[in-house]
Amino acid sequence: MIKAENLWKSYPMRRDRPGLKEFVVNAPGFLKDNHNRFWALRGVSLSVKPGESLGVIGRNGAGKSTLLSLLLGVAQPTQGRIEVHGKRTPLLELGAGFHPDLTGIENAVINGVLLGHTEAEIRARMEAIIAFSELGEFIHMPIRTYSGGMLMRLAFSIAIHTSPEVLLIDEILAVGDESFQRKSGKALLDLIKGGVTTVYVSHSMAAIKKMCDRVIWLEQGEIRAEGEAGLVVEEYLKAQG
Amino acid sequence: MRLDLKTRQQLDLLKLLVKKEITLRYKRTYLGFLWSLLNPLLTSLVLFVAFSVFMRFEVENFILYLLSALFPWTWFSTSVTMSPSILTSNVSLIKKVIFPKHFLVLATIASQLVNFIFSLPVLIVLTYYYGGAPAANWLIGIPLLAVVQFAVIYGISLIISIANAFFRDLEYLVGVLVSLLFWMTPIIYPLEAVPARHQIWLSINPVTYLIQAWRDLLFNNVLNWQNVYISMITAAVVLVIGLWVYNRFEPKLDEVL
Repeated sequence: MIKAENLWKSYPMRRDRPGLKEFVVNAPGFLKDNHNRFWALRGVSLSVKPGESLGVIGRNGAGKSTLLSLLLGVAQPTQGRIEVHGKRTPLLELGAGFHPDLTGIENAVINGVLLGHTEAEIRARMEAIIAFSELGEFIHMPIRTYSGGMLMRLAFSIAIHTSPEVLLIDEILAVGDESFQRKSGKALLDLIKGGVTTVYVSHSMAAIKKMCDRVIWLEQGEIRAEGEAGLVVEEYLKAQG
Repeated sequence: MRLDLKTRQQLDLLKLLVKKEITLRYKRTYLGFLWSLLNPLLTSLVLFVAFSVFMRFEVENFILYLLSALFPWTWFSTSVTMSPSILTSNVSLIKKVIFPKHFLVLATIASQLVNFIFSLPVLIVLTYYYGGAPAANWLIGIPLLAVVQFAVIYGISLIISIANAFFRDLEYLVGVLVSLLFWMTPIIYPLEAVPARHQIWLSINPVTYLIQAWRDLLFNNVLNWQNVYISMITAAVVLVIGLWVYNRFEPKLDEVL
């Protein structure tokens, strides 16, 4: 279950190299935090019922990824409240924290534990993870020897084997080759239809319609439309011309 | 005792992060973990040659005298020097996965502690070489001082790692400050060798007492409680400030990484 009320999120707008003058000027105000700020989200409220799948669409920079970060808890809202029940599993950047010099198994263990499992639990699922990833003997090699597709397969395989309760997905369906894409898409669909609470961010309207019950359309940090997936997608596509 | 699943998972995570730190350091070397022992060994060899052949100090068993302070110092300085990049070099992890970020700081310090522990056998061998023997108080003293020093490093590293995310200039300052601190601490020279009017500079440096406590223990086989107490107070103060700073700025971390 996810419940978010009146979410606002701003980021400081600072130049890459602030410069000494700016530092001296801002230093006293640093604690008070009165920089120019960019508002990525302006008062977004949403709720996702247990087992429901909510799609989030919108153009680049509309605030979709910011919203996911807030729901995941890696970023704090500037204002507003968030309530999430259940273990959150991100499918944002697959393989975050992977290290090139560690083997597939070593990375899988660390990644699995980062996603909220004990080491023993992950080791018990290792067979399944390896089988799904189709990596075979490569699983014992340092992942710097992997191709991009192999990396994604491993990362995706770990993520879906961590028994997610709340899935937060950001545009990841393009995993591996054609046949693996079909397989991973099906695995994801099974999870979503199998009662996992999902928030799904994507630019693929076909995927959104397939995976989601309800959709919200974000524009410049605000909800422009909300409702049944097919209807909102149609409205969105019409507006984009 | 049965731990609940959440605690178990957190402990596993910490353990894996420490293990990762250690194995990665030597991952593509032939000697691997052996370097943890070899490094202090070679350091002592270099110093041995330098000080027993080329330069001669007025201190008995100078190499042992030096190493009893240098090894703990190395743990301190390496960890602190690494601390600015702990958070800034793990951006994807911090922005995409929920986990206690201070574990990264703990793991760095712990992996350096392992290195320090591996340098202790070198000290023990040298102690016997010079005709001495480790005293029983090492068994209390070493863990005690290790805990105190861990707390000191942890407090400092928390501040530096989070501050560097906001002011990247810090990265370049820390190295200089650490080497300044090195010369302000009686490591390669005895405290008594400093002229009395300059000793004030060493005595306002809290690390002096910690390093002296190590030397009292490992070189003189004495637990000097005065130095230990001062170090404990230092540790408590640094830790409290460190935790406060960290908790104050951690929620804003995602905005600047």
